[in-house]
Amino acid sequence: MKTKYTHRISILALFSLSAAMAQTATSRIVSAANTFLSTLDQKQRQSVLFAFDDGQQRARWSNFPVRMVPRAGLSMGELSAAQRAAALVMISSALSTRGFEKVRQIMAADEVLKHNEGNNPMFGEDLYYVSILGTPSATEPWMLQFGGHHLALNITIAGERGVLTPTLTGAQPSLYTVNGKTVRPLGRESDKAIALLNALDESQRKQAVLSYRLADLVLGPGQDGKTIQPEGLKASAMNERQRAMLLDVISEWAGIVHESAAAARMAELKAEVNETWFAWSGPATVTPGSNIAAYYRVQGPHLVIEYAPQRMGGDPSMHVHTIYRDPTNDYGRKLTSK
Amino acid sequence: MILLAGTPALAHRLDEYLQGTLISVEKNRLQAQITLTPGVAVFQVLLAEIDTDADGVISETEQRAYAARVLRDLSLTIDGHPLTPRLISRQFPTIQEMQAGRGEIQIEFSADLPLGGANRRLIFENHHFRQIAAYQVNCLVPRDPDIRIAAQNRNYSQSLYQLEYVQAGVQSNSPVLAWCSSDRVWLGALALLLCARFALLMKKKKTQAMA
Repeated sequence: MKTKYTHRISILALFSLSAAMAQTATSRIVSAANTFLSTLDQKQRQSVLFAFDDGQQRARWSNFPVRMVPRAGLSMGELSAAQRAAALVMISSALSTRGFEKVRQIMAADEVLKHNEGNNPMFGEDLYYVSILGTPSATEPWMLQFGGHHLALNITIAGERGVLTPTLTGAQPSLYTVNGKTVRPLGRESDKAIALLNALDESQRKQAVLSYRLADLVLGPGQDGKTIQPEGLKASAMNERQRAMLLDVISEWAGIVHESAAAARMAELKAEVNETWFAWSGPATVTPGSNIAAYYRVQGPHLVIEYAPQRMGGDPSMHVHTIYRDPTNDYGRKLTSK
Repeated sequence: MILLAGTPALAHRLDEYLQGTLISVEKNRLQAQITLTPGVAVFQVLLAEIDTDADGVISETEQRAYAARVLRDLSLTIDGHPLTPRLISRQFPTIQEMQAGRGEIQIEFSADLPLGGANRRLIFENHHFRQIAAYQVNCLVPRDPDIRIAAQNRNYSQSLYQLEYVQAGVQSNSPVLAWCSSDRVWLGALALLLCARFALLMKKKKTQAMA
């Protein structure tokens, strides 16, 4: 059943991809959004559509499961198989291949958690919500939101620009196996960061490693537009190789959005890499193939990334929250304010 | 076929009382927001302290009393002078939300900062429920371009936070200038004026007597 369903999505995604080869990224997303909307009845359309400037809906996201912090829009569980496939094609059209894979792995982790918790109805792939703020357009700004437990994608599209901030990713369990294959939805975020830490010399490491414990995200849900004083090691004190490694860490978040938007964002972040900081708190070692149990933060003039393992009665490396922000451009404000 | 590695159980905070503080420094005052999130395993301990009449509702009076208690458990000094935090706002979740581990209490407060020199040192201590607390404290980047953060230091648990910042457009910390910059300068000027007036009157009286 599941394989057949995945197959169907893959075929639809491939079809959509080949048909859209000549299209721009935005027109491709608009087309996928309109296709999705055309599959809905009137009542469903009313549920999924919001005004572009609906501040409450913009901020209605969390790391918590939807039964704890209710979301609005349409859940995957409310959609028919065809509608669900169209919704996922729309979401995949706004993301990179790698980004969409990460999203699917986060959702699959929640399905694992559901299974692990005795079929707990609080979790699972059905409980991810989609919503559209404004009208899908190739010229006027609009937003696409998708999220649930450990996931909040806020994608603002304004002409050819695509903004992914703020976005929350997370996973519990953050390591699981499917058909014998190990899956770590946030594995690269973990591996690349510890590789960077290990590439620092002793004096750099002294600056990067904070002397205090961090229990959670500092700028998680509800902290839009805030900028904290940066700490740790400034990239201007790194060598070229270390700076490239830092940019590679950043790309794990900046590269979730579709390729052309990601390239523009990475160019912006690369230009100010010397003003970007890297801070670490917690164990500086990891068992190969596992996730780190340490908190880290990457912060620049237009960037905040936090990776925060959660100590909730178990192994913190198995439950991770992350946040990706541009405090100067949450929900694409810079592109959309008139 | 899905196989599991590890058995992470719950989706919410358990045995800790997360207390995250964000401090914003301005020239004459500081403003701060504390977000307090009790874990489900410590919720009952906390509830007994908040819902003091145990009627299952956090009344206005109970909210006020708890916010006041949180502020009493904080200690703030600037350049060694104690500051008095003043409550600006408070927001409480329902008991059910707290019970589920998603309830956030938000308390905003401010404190007036006395005039001081260019280099300032703020010390913030949080002692609220220290046995179960997971403290976090950070400073927001100042909006005022004249204020520049110089250093932040914390102990391991973040119950103690020291912020050093530099305020441009302020004279040095010399005691004379510090004295001049305070309200006492007006008293001094008034005293000088009175002395001058008294001297003039005396001189006038002397001239009249001689005439």
